[in-house]
Amino acid sequence: MKKYFKLFILLGVLFCATSSYAQNISDMRLNEVVVTNTEGFEDDYGYRSGWIELFYTSYGTVNIAGCYLSTDPNNLTMYMIPKGDVLTQIKPRQHTLFWADGVKERGTFHVSFNLEGAKEVFFVSTDGKTIVDRVAIPQLDTNQSYARKVDGEGSNKVESIVYKSINKTIKAKANEADPTVEGWVVCNAPTPSTNNLTLDGESKASMMQDVDPIGIFLTLTAMCVTFLSLIILYFIFKRIGKFHIKKKSENAKEATKNVANSAKADTSGQVSAETYAAISMAMHLYKIDNEAHDFENTVLTIHKESKSYSPWSSKIYTLRETPQVNKRK
Amino acid sequence: MYTGFANVTIGHILMILIGLVFIYLAITKDWEPMLLVPIGFGIIIGNIPLFPGLQVGVYEEGSVLNILYQGVRQGWYPPLIFLGIGAMTDFSALISNPKLLLIGAAAQFGIFGAYMAALALGFGAAEAGAIGIIGGADGPTAIFLAGRLAPDLMGAIAVSAYSYMALVPVIQPPVMKLLTTEKERRIKMKAPRAVSPTEKKLFPIVGFLLTAFIVPSGIPLLGMLFFGNLIKESGVTKRLDTTAIVPIIYFITIIIGITVVCYTHSDKVLQWSSVKIFILGAFSFVVATFAGVLFVKFFNLFLKEGNKINPLIGNAGVSAVPDAARVSNNVGLEYDKTNFLLMHAMGPNVAGVIGSAVAAGILLAFLG
Repeated sequence: MKKYFKLFILLGVLFCATSSYAQNISDMRLNEVVVTNTEGFEDDYGYRSGWIELFYTSYGTVNIAGCYLSTDPNNLTMYMIPKGDVLTQIKPRQHTLFWADGVKERGTFHVSFNLEGAKEVFFVSTDGKTIVDRVAIPQLDTNQSYARKVDGEGSNKVESIVYKSINKTIKAKANEADPTVEGWVVCNAPTPSTNNLTLDGESKASMMQDVDPIGIFLTLTAMCVTFLSLIILYFIFKRIGKFHIKKKSENAKEATKNVANSAKADTSGQVSAETYAAISMAMHLYKIDNEAHDFENTVLTIHKESKSYSPWSSKIYTLRETPQVNKRK
Repeated sequence: MYTGFANVTIGHILMILIGLVFIYLAITKDWEPMLLVPIGFGIIIGNIPLFPGLQVGVYEEGSVLNILYQGVRQGWYPPLIFLGIGAMTDFSALISNPKLLLIGAAAQFGIFGAYMAALALGFGAAEAGAIGIIGGADGPTAIFLAGRLAPDLMGAIAVSAYSYMALVPVIQPPVMKLLTTEKERRIKMKAPRAVSPTEKKLFPIVGFLLTAFIVPSGIPLLGMLFFGNLIKESGVTKRLDTTAIVPIIYFITIIIGITVVCYTHSDKVLQWSSVKIFILGAFSFVVATFAGVLFVKFFNLFLKEGNKINPLIGNAGVSAVPDAARVSNNVGLEYDKTNFLLMHAMGPNVAGVIGSAVAAGILLAFLG
């Protein structure tokens, strides 16, 4: 039984670990796409080509090595993101950009296809089947991009749509992507590897100050929340306390009753062995589960008094008297 | 040119004198020596005149002091201190009389009173939040929040928080006496009931789950506080408990004490804004004491005779463990030599620790 329990725990841990991994990959989003790039951003080789920007929406770090990018729903494994490149480790809330130039020999971030004529772009999990995100590309002019208004946000995300490779038929569970979904816009000024929407720098604090210049709203809210937390805690421990007191008095009553019964039963005047057993048990329970007594360390501290002189340490008293010889006359 | 003498300014000398005063108070007056000795010496270290490029000052990236300071700046040290506090705290007084929790909540008004006052004095919302937390009378919480909301004010806020915590016996008694009648000061409270080990074990688990679900932003502080308490009360992790209360807390206290005030360079501290922070700090302590004592008086209106709470323990709702509780006890003894309030005051006192961590979480959520 114990063995099965351990196995169950192990499976549980493995399941949690797998889920958390999947959770990380599932937080990747296609964020911006440029099909034809003639005047914009150049790659490290000095070439201009279309590109796909991904955005990681989570607050952890994820490695996207082994995931796939594709433009063909019938072949979701068109380009596998190579393993072994440290740059595939994406930091929290960061972008990464893949050049769709069709020349994968140029490096990890150059995919094996281009976007000319592509209708959709897919980001696929490491199993090659689970689509993490997809975007249908509308008609774009040269140097225009199709981008999320706010990084990682918008309704075009696809939750675990599994494409069955058998017969190459596509069976989506839900959320068939709609190219005109909310949250995506055509941009005349693409923003590769940067936020699509640049905030104007207004922090939460400054927004709070605008809304609540004298601080009364925050004060009332915070005091209410603080009180609420501690009031709930108060009620919980009031109940627990009452339960504990009740249980304790019940135990005491039962113990008294048992003692009375044993006294009645023992009419001979002799103390029976059962009585001794009951007393021993009561003492034992008192010792191990004495609820009236807290745990104590029972450390005895002895302060050593240091005195410069003490007759006990005086050498003169510890020496034996010099023997004297009494001669007989 | 390369010596400190060549680069010294009047600001440096003033700050060094302040550091020396702190050390003097700690050694001769025994005012919070565990804090004031490292803080005083830290102020001196931070104000030795240096010329740039030596890679030794706290302001220079990569220097030893700068690396140690990152624990303050990034908020690593305060949760570790909270771990030790949790492992040292006995919540029995609170569990035996859970209504004392509410006093800990009421006293947090000091934080928000100071927040509103700081806004009125022209501080930004984030800075006001960081200043307000001084009223929580909890050094690690103040450092944690200041590091997140207003790192530039860290030095002034830390010095202010720890100074006023040391001055609790001076600040609180006049307010307590002002707000209470002699009859109220003589109220004798019922002896707290015995608390079972089961209740003690449940408290950190239930307390954490509840507070963390309500204020998730307080997890670093609340999580470590309750975790520390659980390793103490569980009874099966004695070595972890010993590690938390001795090596960890003393090590972090030394490091935090020294580094938190290294940033009190005269250029940053000797400013009008620092003076305002010190005034607001005192104000927050007074408001917190007011709120705690008045709340008890208000609460007493609903309690039967014999169950009433002595309003002198209202001041203990600010954290400042256990100084605030000692103040309650000492003031109580002035009026009745047989009225020992220490155990009762420990209830709101530890509730104040939870309350201030919750309040810090709320401020972080709104302003961070």
